[in-house]
Amino acid sequence: MSTYREIPLVTERTTFPELDDVVFKPTETKPTKKWFLGITLSSTALLVGIICLVYSIYYGIGMWGNNNPVGWGFDIINFVFWIGIGHAGTLISAILYLFRQKWRTGIARFAEAMTIFAVMTAGIFPLIHVGRPWLAGYLFPYPNQHNVWVNFNSPLLWDVFAVSTYFVVSFFFWGLGLIPDIANMRSRTKSGIKKFFYSLLSFGWRNSNRHWQHYEKAYLLLAGLSTPLVLSVHTIVSFDFAVSVLPGWHTTIFPPYFVAGAIFSGFGMVATVLIVVRKVFDMEHIITMNHLDKMAKILLATGTMVGYAYAMEFFMAWYSGYIFEQFVFLNRAFGPYAWSYWVMIACNVGFPQLFWLKKVRQNIPLMLVIVILVNVGMWFERFVIIVTSLHRDFLPASWGMYAPTIYDIGIFIGSFGLFFTLMLLFVKVMPAISLTELKGVMKGSQPEHH
Amino acid sequence: MTTQGLQEQKKLPESVKKASLLLISTGIVLMMISFIVDSHRAFYNYILMYSFIVSIGVGSLGLVALEYMVDAAWSTPFRRISEFLAFLIPFLLILVIPIIFGIHDLYHWSHKEAVETDPVLQGKAPYLNTAFFTIRVFACILIWMLFYFLITKNSEKQDITKEYGLLTKNIKLSIGFAPILIITLTITAIDLIMSLEPHWYSTMFGVYYFSGTAVAGLAATTLLAVILKEKGYLHPQLQDRLYHSMGTLLFGLNVFWAYIAFSQFLLIWYADIPEETFWMMHRMHGSWGVVSLALLFIHFIIPFIILLPGRAKTNFRTLKIMAVWLLFAHMLDLYWLIMPNFNKESAFFSWNEIGFILFIVGFVLFVFKIKSDKTNFTPVGDPKLETGLEVKLYPDLSID
Repeated sequence: MSTYREIPLVTERTTFPELDDVVFKPTETKPTKKWFLGITLSSTALLVGIICLVYSIYYGIGMWGNNNPVGWGFDIINFVFWIGIGHAGTLISAILYLFRQKWRTGIARFAEAMTIFAVMTAGIFPLIHVGRPWLAGYLFPYPNQHNVWVNFNSPLLWDVFAVSTYFVVSFFFWGLGLIPDIANMRSRTKSGIKKFFYSLLSFGWRNSNRHWQHYEKAYLLLAGLSTPLVLSVHTIVSFDFAVSVLPGWHTTIFPPYFVAGAIFSGFGMVATVLIVVRKVFDMEHIITMNHLDKMAKILLATGTMVGYAYAMEFFMAWYSGYIFEQFVFLNRAFGPYAWSYWVMIACNVGFPQLFWLKKVRQNIPLMLVIVILVNVGMWFERFVIIVTSLHRDFLPASWGMYAPTIYDIGIFIGSFGLFFTLMLLFVKVMPAISLTELKGVMKGSQPEHH
Repeated sequence: MTTQGLQEQKKLPESVKKASLLLISTGIVLMMISFIVDSHRAFYNYILMYSFIVSIGVGSLGLVALEYMVDAAWSTPFRRISEFLAFLIPFLLILVIPIIFGIHDLYHWSHKEAVETDPVLQGKAPYLNTAFFTIRVFACILIWMLFYFLITKNSEKQDITKEYGLLTKNIKLSIGFAPILIITLTITAIDLIMSLEPHWYSTMFGVYYFSGTAVAGLAATTLLAVILKEKGYLHPQLQDRLYHSMGTLLFGLNVFWAYIAFSQFLLIWYADIPEETFWMMHRMHGSWGVVSLALLFIHFIIPFIILLPGRAKTNFRTLKIMAVWLLFAHMLDLYWLIMPNFNKESAFFSWNEIGFILFIVGFVLFVFKIKSDKTNFTPVGDPKLETGLEVKLYPDLSID
């Protein structure tokens, strides 16, 4: 009988110290020119965003393209877009952990960091969307003298709870995983100030048996807690739309469809960034072709699920016999914003189908193009849902068109600036790969009895 | 070698066949009487029975495909159980015939005079018409049969040839089958169940039915896996810890069902659009309200609490009880979906229904018995078998 073949998760013969050197190198050496170039670009983008934000707050959100009937514009599109991106990290670290997918170890840390930063970026948008961000504190229900309470019936409030819970749990999960690695860095570093901060962040970790036992239990419990959260956040985001009575927004498939879309877009972004990172930091033996291949398969699966949801919506719109529902979908596909609909279909359902072919999954440049298109497609999905459903109201007298202003676009660029600036700072000061977990899945690390 | 001692495999005792035939014949007699007394009601029972058998058969085939698709090894020692249950699929071709004859009794949209006076039904007529309905129902069964025969043929051939390539072939087949399975189950759900109330629609409905079939398929597999292990039919090296994975998956799939069910309900309830709410209203008033609440507790809350602790998933008694429980829950779910269309006023249960349930139990046992007589209980030629038997719990999910 031929034995079952398993692909090694770390290719090339490599030793533990060699792995340490590769992973810690960015944190221990002076940044490269590429890194400076990267952070120059991203912080410039961030600056553009900040300028546009200050303008918007100073003059009010009339600076944006939002109008009547399109009351939700770039702000909510970007919110949903970034929240979606923030789904891959916790899926990889929690759900794939419970599914015993060992290949996750190479990419989990990175994806978790992306989750944290994406959720932070996303958080800006509802904050500025309220128009007076300095009053956003009222979104939290707390007993107060004015007896002013939030509207518990509003899904927008559920968002506040869902997103903040998700952020807190993901943050702890990420921080917990970092502790052993930071302890490792603490032991390696020669600089006094670094030693001080790493000691502080590693909470006195000494790699003792008892520490590991506690760590494993805490990790498992957090994985169990995070798993429903991965589903709940985007479910609640979908409720923002689906609890309404608006054709195009109110449809029961929205919750699982949004979750599948979020995982799809999250993996799209993780793959985009990892393809670049593995090259820049010489980590091609840690983030292997096998990892990219598996991510491509997940993208194919989730992209097809999203395609199922598009098909189901369209079919049910016809089947419902409800003329407004039918109109909204015909208007999406053939109305003035038809181009955005077909961009969405092509990028989310069409191009990912190429991943059926092994040749495409092994071809890095082509894969990079497809995953970037996935990001584009998922942004347009939110554009389609929000703008096309709103711009033609029930009464033709209240029809309109939507166009973003330069401030909308500036804030959008700024959101990418913030995200990538945080990512670049992260790879500079923290280990981008979970070394302790990675070593655990390498050949020779586990007792074997053959 | 781990395959020793499996060449001469124990067969299920003949008493199983006798018992199953007794159940089937009693069931058929009661069903006949039920059809004679109240054929309208009997047709609704029949469609419930048919949907349930689809759930077990197609749900099991889905689990087999899932194993191949995600390259799981822990479930390989159990895979034959799902394969045997999937042998229900070819019989659907015969079981479906009464439904074709009952279209007129079951489906309001099949009445020409009703369609003529109803513009909504006129709009749906290109989809909801007798000819197209029949084509779709048979097409779905034929597609499932095709994949059933292709996948199990390779799997059984591997027992003898031990060829690695058959695994690769089945992986490819299963990946191709996955999207087809979702589409065919969606069509089945819409056609057989949703169109019983032709004015109502929900985009989630396909996913809702699909999540139920996954629970039912796995519950049936779990039940048989525990019983067969206790009686010594499965691989001697099969360890209890593999049941932990099975219990966890059962728990997870059931939570997924609850998530879908809750989302569908909440969105319809919250938006409060009359075109959609009337379907839920029928199920919230009178004794149907009790059934709805019972569904919440029986299908979700109680199994959730019982299956949550790590210990429950390796306790054979708990697993057996919960597997039967969840099979019942799925039946209750189908009852809740189908029966209010027959009687909107109040829930009902009497001897008319019993024959159909006896038939299901007897028929599943019978099919399982005749299939298992000819095939090994363990896929001895599968290269994943050894890996599966040695699977360690990583992470070790049993926190105590």
